[in-house]
Amino acid sequence: MANGIRKPFLERLGKEWLFFDGGTGTILQEKGLKGGELPERWNLTRPEDIIDLHCGYLQAGCDIFNTNTFGANALKFPGPAVTVEKAGVSAEKEGTTGIDANMAGGAQEHGELRQIVEAAVALAKEARRRSRREDAYIALDIGPTGRLLEPLGDLPFEKAVEIFGEVVRIGAAAGADLVLIETMSDSYESKAAVLAAKENCNLPVLITNVYDSSGKLLTGGTVDSTVAMLEGLRVDGLGVNCGMGPEQMIPIVKRMTEVASVPILVNPNAGLPRSEKGRTVYDVDPDSFADWMKKIAGMGVQAVGGCCGTTPEHIRKTVQAVRGCAGAEEKSCADADKKTCTAADEKTGAEAEGIREGTMASKGVPFVPNTKKKLTVVSSFSRAVEIGRKPVIIGERINPTGKKKFKEALRENNIEYILTEGLNQEDSGAHILDVNVGLPEIDEPQMMATVVSRLQSILPLPLQIDTSDPIAMERGMRLYNGKPMVNSVNGKKESMEAVFPLVRKYGGVVVGLVLDEDGIPETADGRIAVAKKIYEAADRYGIPREDIVIDGLAMTISSDTKSALTTLETLRRVRDELHGHTILGVSNISFGLPQRSIINAHFLTMAMQMGLSCAIMNPGNEDMMCAYRAFLALSDLDPQCMGYIGAYANAQRTTVTAAAKTGAGVAAAGSADAAGSGGFKASAAEKAGEGMTGGSSHQPSAGMSLGDSIRRGMAGSAADAARALLEAGTPALSLINEELIPALDFVGKGFEKGTIFLPQLLMSAEAAKAAFEVVKETMQDEKQETKGRIILATVKGDIHDIGKNIVKVMLENYSFEILDLGKDVAPETIVETAISENISLVGLSALMTTTVVSMEETIRLLREQKPDTKVVVGGAVMTQEYADSIGADCYAPDAMATVHFAEEVFAS
Amino acid sequence: MIKVDKKEIYRYLGYRRNIPDAEVCRMVDSCLEQLQREVTPRYIFRKYPVESVYTVPGAFAEEEDPLLYSSPEGGTERSGQRKRGARPGRRTEAELPMLRIAGMEIRSRSLSRNLRGCENVYLMAATLGIGPDRLIARASVTHMSRAVTLQAAAAAMIESWCDEVNQKIIREASEQGFYCRPRFSPGYGDFPLEYQQDFAQILRMQKEIGVSLTESFLMIPTKSVTAVIGITGDRQDCVLHGCEVCEQAPHCAFSRNRLETDGE
Repeated sequence: MANGIRKPFLERLGKEWLFFDGGTGTILQEKGLKGGELPERWNLTRPEDIIDLHCGYLQAGCDIFNTNTFGANALKFPGPAVTVEKAGVSAEKEGTTGIDANMAGGAQEHGELRQIVEAAVALAKEARRRSRREDAYIALDIGPTGRLLEPLGDLPFEKAVEIFGEVVRIGAAAGADLVLIETMSDSYESKAAVLAAKENCNLPVLITNVYDSSGKLLTGGTVDSTVAMLEGLRVDGLGVNCGMGPEQMIPIVKRMTEVASVPILVNPNAGLPRSEKGRTVYDVDPDSFADWMKKIAGMGVQAVGGCCGTTPEHIRKTVQAVRGCAGAEEKSCADADKKTCTAADEKTGAEAEGIREGTMASKGVPFVPNTKKKLTVVSSFSRAVEIGRKPVIIGERINPTGKKKFKEALRENNIEYILTEGLNQEDSGAHILDVNVGLPEIDEPQMMATVVSRLQSILPLPLQIDTSDPIAMERGMRLYNGKPMVNSVNGKKESMEAVFPLVRKYGGVVVGLVLDEDGIPETADGRIAVAKKIYEAADRYGIPREDIVIDGLAMTISSDTKSALTTLETLRRVRDELHGHTILGVSNISFGLPQRSIINAHFLTMAMQMGLSCAIMNPGNEDMMCAYRAFLALSDLDPQCMGYIGAYANAQRTTVTAAAKTGAGVAAAGSADAAGSGGFKASAAEKAGEGMTGGSSHQPSAGMSLGDSIRRGMAGSAADAARALLEAGTPALSLINEELIPALDFVGKGFEKGTIFLPQLLMSAEAAKAAFEVVKETMQDEKQETKGRIILATVKGDIHDIGKNIVKVMLENYSFEILDLGKDVAPETIVETAISENISLVGLSALMTTTVVSMEETIRLLREQKPDTKVVVGGAVMTQEYADSIGADCYAPDAMATVHFAEEVFAS
Repeated sequence: MIKVDKKEIYRYLGYRRNIPDAEVCRMVDSCLEQLQREVTPRYIFRKYPVESVYTVPGAFAEEEDPLLYSSPEGGTERSGQRKRGARPGRRTEAELPMLRIAGMEIRSRSLSRNLRGCENVYLMAATLGIGPDRLIARASVTHMSRAVTLQAAAAAMIESWCDEVNQKIIREASEQGFYCRPRFSPGYGDFPLEYQQDFAQILRMQKEIGVSLTESFLMIPTKSVTAVIGITGDRQDCVLHGCEVCEQAPHCAFSRNRLETDGE
């Protein structure tokens, strides 16, 4: 192949060896880049140095070289912005419901950033010309924003997409050949960047992540979970860069070759960094680097290069070692016209000679394309769950169908209730959580976004987005930090046309219901025919078979006693004839029958025997969990029966059930192991007993009074005592006024005197809450009385919400209703809510001196727009003086003080 | 595994000198255990020269404003300290020397005092990783008592981790014949929090140890610390850390010095 002809990139990637360039930072530092200086500015101020940098690598024989745009984004180069028409390619291209289409047309663009990115591509082109390497590809280099995404950080996901999108638009228009997203240490930011690239250009998209020595991303992702998500997003190649040297990368690369199907890219540092006189130095020299890279190349990767600390010499030696003789001659740039190169390039003629000489002796590594692994995998930010190896449990409890309290929680925006359902199911042993928040009277897309976002910030379980609303489905899939499960598509044309484009774009394992325009087929034959139709349609969208699980449709035997047989036969045939995976909403089978869990548990066993891959069920149902664990043990899916023994060794069945009852509603500390070992209710309760509030809290109450239970902070016995009192005929109101409140007051006074401390105060509050829950159950239909409604918020700029949460627990105990606006809340949001909900008391918290400013601003805005609302403030830096100076009505040094002020406000 | 002093956790929980009851002690133990499993401790430090530039000639005379020191154990003794009252009056900002470290320009009375006589400093950053933040967020949904205990235990743990990192620095410095000053963080005294941004850039904290900043310069993971550690050829008592060097200490609810002044 002669220089000057550039094949389309994807005709070469994954089909022959390709080489990336090496480090930028170290070379620019040698050229005089200062510590805090932004290297991207050199595109404008020192263009020759950047051209020089590129020429070095091109002459060393790399095929892909990066523009100097690693940190070029609007956060680092804010400058003045203008709104421009966005050349949105994606909405039309992807044919989805158009969330990003809404954002088209109003994109922000920053002048200095545009100059820097355009210059970067122009300099790369110039280097390519000077080096006579027109066959090489210019990669638009995209590094992380430097900020962490919400909810753990403060950068909204869509804002991140916008920031990356701007760079992609400019770079693609300027003439980059591909997009290389690199050095990403967070899966969520990786997703934002890939989406931005896909939505703003038609170029190939590659991504490499930084893993640490434990094989994880800085935010916890594993190779398995990251690969699943990125392949779902349809990247053209993926891999690992930076963070460590080639030697340390080997275990990560090995795992990648086992799970990834797209071309694998490996760009290590020149060893582990070391600090020498304030500078970072790397110790692996070009020869040893090349030796290692040869080894890595032989592991089954498709493209290699370098990162921090690597130089043109590292790359030259690597090309030589991996490609061997023939390739290097093709790549040789010995005929580069030296006259057009800068002085620094002069020596490269000799270097190129070296390539020839060296490679004459070197044999090189035979190129092997990557293979399709055909794994069915869903993932969360930190965990991958494989479907098909052994049955997995999908928790069904986050779903309002038939659940009065859940519907209420949705209507009242009580996210905590929904999160608690999720945590409980994790403790019970679910591997994946179904998330269905559909209710006619609420904004389902918004609720889906909130619940998915909150759940994935506290739970490592992959989620199954369950909705019939395509808008809600897209919101959930888009914001999901991983590769979701999607529930569901069916054989109807309309359904497939709505769902498959989303799965194509965002990735996911989708549940295919075997029904279509003609309804539910009554025979297994009919159901298999629909399954085939679904597979075929998916294929037309480029969705592989392994990303489909077929729902054989469990329907109650109470109306058709043959229905279970039909379902089981469908499962068997999907497994044996279609070689696919299956899923069932197991408990539908017993609808209308007494003692449903008997039927459910046995049906579950039968279904698993017929190859059921996923059971959508309540993991809190002991009979079904027993059936599940027994099946695994009997089918050689539970090594040494450890899962079974772990769950049942210390429990007899009768006491198990009792323990399960007292343990209900308690989230245990340790997360249940996805391998299926953890999570039996009894063990969850034990864990909770040790971990949460002390060993005795969940033991039978042994006659302890309600007051004592609360004073001693024992949630389990407080609930038991409340139940016993109610059963003995004590009226709910006198239980509250004569036992519960006095006990709380006792603890509160002790706290104020300094004889009782914060953890005890909160344990008592939790015990009181547990008792309240019991009381509430008996008063289901009566309207709950509240003393008043209060807004609580941690102010803008502050992300510490623990103080606010403490206050919330205490206020709720004293029957106040809390509108919790969360952390980092803008003054406008607080004021708008205060007005729309007509709130008379607002509680604001700020931990840092620097964020008290936003507290002051919030108070000022409130005074202006809702002067009758009182404000109580608190937080570590607050003092009475400080509170007075910013115009608060009350300074609360602790949670009890807020309770007193609230009682005062609502008494008047 | 990071060694953590449980007394520090009790102190953060507001127990001052008291030992909590068995129930709370058990919860502290279980929180610590859980944190040890979920933390991913990382650190980075680098050495830089420090320059002190006086913009007003003659200001800041030699004999004034010595460093305040306390006992090496970080205990509550004050024998090593000068009385606060003996300090000279406050200077105007212009009279303060400008400290130049790795491109940062800092005017801070307290940092200048901390770094007096130092020609070099280490900049360090340490973190426990995002694990504790997730655990606390999770516990906040169901068990606030556990959330506050995790919070206190993680706070004590990051301090211990910083001590370990600081020890590495002390070792490295002593190999070169230098002694370390107490570590000093942005936000201490009048050393503005805004300098977190410079730390982040100079130490490449996001890339190297996964620490990023919010718009308001708070670090995420929240259990992260940055600090300046001065080194000098003069033998000085070395304090690892402590309330003793912080001007906020008299107002701080968790200050060790507060132990003596209970009831004030």
